[in-house]
Amino acid sequence: MKRGGLIVFLVIWLLAGIGETGAVATPESIVAANNIYVANMSFDPGAFFTGDAGTVTVIVTNGNTNQSIGVNHAAFGDKDFRLTGGTYDSSAILGPLQSRTYQFSVVSEAPQGYYFPTFSLNLREADNLYYRGVVQVDNTPLSVTVLSQPDSFTRAKKDTISLQIANPRKNEVKNVVVDIAGGSGVEIIPSSRYIGSLGSGISIPVDFSMTPEQECVLNVIVSYDNGDNHHYSNLTIPVTFSPDKKKANPVMSNIGVTAVEGVIHVTGDITNAGLSTANAVSVTALSPATVEDPYKTYVIGTLKPDDFGSFEVTFSATGGATVPLQLSYKDKDGNVVTSTENVTVPQYSAVTKKTGFPVLPVAAVSIVLALFVGGWALYLKRNNQ
Amino acid sequence: MGISWMDLLINPNRFFQQALGEKEQLKYPGLIVLAGAIVAAAAGYFTGTITAAMLDSAMQGMGSIILIGTVIAAFVMTFLVWVIWAGAFYLISKIFKGTGSFGRCLEVVGYGYVPLVIGSVITLVAAFEYLPKVAIPMLTSTALQNPQLIQDATTALVNDPAMAEFTQISLVISMIFLLWSANCWIFGIKQAQNIPMRDAAICVGIPVILLIIYQLYNLAGM
Repeated sequence: MKRGGLIVFLVIWLLAGIGETGAVATPESIVAANNIYVANMSFDPGAFFTGDAGTVTVIVTNGNTNQSIGVNHAAFGDKDFRLTGGTYDSSAILGPLQSRTYQFSVVSEAPQGYYFPTFSLNLREADNLYYRGVVQVDNTPLSVTVLSQPDSFTRAKKDTISLQIANPRKNEVKNVVVDIAGGSGVEIIPSSRYIGSLGSGISIPVDFSMTPEQECVLNVIVSYDNGDNHHYSNLTIPVTFSPDKKKANPVMSNIGVTAVEGVIHVTGDITNAGLSTANAVSVTALSPATVEDPYKTYVIGTLKPDDFGSFEVTFSATGGATVPLQLSYKDKDGNVVTSTENVTVPQYSAVTKKTGFPVLPVAAVSIVLALFVGGWALYLKRNNQ
Repeated sequence: MGISWMDLLINPNRFFQQALGEKEQLKYPGLIVLAGAIVAAAAGYFTGTITAAMLDSAMQGMGSIILIGTVIAAFVMTFLVWVIWAGAFYLISKIFKGTGSFGRCLEVVGYGYVPLVIGSVITLVAAFEYLPKVAIPMLTSTALQNPQLIQDATTALVNDPAMAEFTQISLVISMIFLLWSANCWIFGIKQAQNIPMRDAAICVGIPVILLIIYQLYNLAGM
């Protein structure tokens, strides 16, 4: 009777235990637990820089159509991705065909490469669920390149520089902003431009105009967000002045000098031997010459490449003097470009007009002479000599 | 000496009657010509600066030499012309059987220089006014080797408006004052050579009128 009582006690204790927990691993429950699976694991950002913080989102789905599954503890971790947020220690029931989302905050601490961090979920009726995702750590920044820029920079000349911002990463970056700075000696328009999101493998051109007053270095800073992490890409563009190979080049030729009544007339042709159009071409004489009417300044107007125009300027100067003729024109941006060409006023003899017949002095002397001769003749006659 | 200098200008007949009535002396005529020479040297300085400026770029340092040369030449030429005038009057007076000495002719011409000196002073004032306005053609060392260029530069200088105007004014002034001097000389030569007034007028008139016609010819041909 004693032995029979012990067996009854054990049976009752076991049954009571089952009733308390309700979780006895039966073959059916194990089969049901096998239908629990990770439907999706995603990372934000899609590819981390080393040191980036981000989130991992895991969606667990109960594939059973008629059986709920109890889940307890969920965890995510790897030695290369440090968990900084997201703990799931409480029990929950995942109903038939239901999904549950687990989100973790992590910081990548790995160098560049591919990594496989593990998600684990403790199932009440069976063993743990383990799932390994794949994530890339990529330290490749956005690419900033110069698509086009002038062959040479000229002081006070407005030029356009074209940049290309490209995303060689496998994930999209956000809030891309291009800032260009060059100091006080250069005017840049626009100096900042917001681009927004830039998808993987996408490039976008960015144009800006700049008018340098002095040599400088342009700093192009492209800032962007990889997830919530701020990153930069830099590019420097040195701006040094050198002759503009495509600029207009008005050249004086066929210079002729004449002098009429003390006024020097310089005539000649101006040919645009450059590759750009010269606007508002004008010519005038500088000191030591003194400009005189009628052509103090001669305006030719616009000269396209290979066009020519004639000019004439008038001034007074000492014979044999070297007189600088100033040639000025405006480029397409309105910048005034000046150059001088020296003209030597020749011994302006051969070209000087003779003054007219000196009627007045000749007449005056003749009259006085006639009065002298006539007076003396009269005097001698009166004195009978 | 009881002569009146005002008579020389307004009544030369009386002046020379008194002046030549005394012993022959060249002190006062010489001083008058010296005054004329100083004024001529000053005018020579002005014209010399133009010549020096013309050649300055071609011959560095030659400017001062040219300037000094021009001043000395103008000074000496005044005395030389004094002698030439006196010689011309003396020789022509001999045709009319003049009996006076060459020294007397020098004395007469020297006294008669007073109007010419006055004219020279007026010309000097005109030079002050006009010559700084002259545009001076400059000759380079290369140009100096080309006679045509030198001639061209000279022509340009002569035809410069300021230079041409100065030349005309100075010529008119000098001709008028030369005739005034000639008027004095006629009375002086008459007394000095002891010839009739008509002959004295011819003695003085012929070279003076020839000179004036020559000057007018040059002026017209500018």
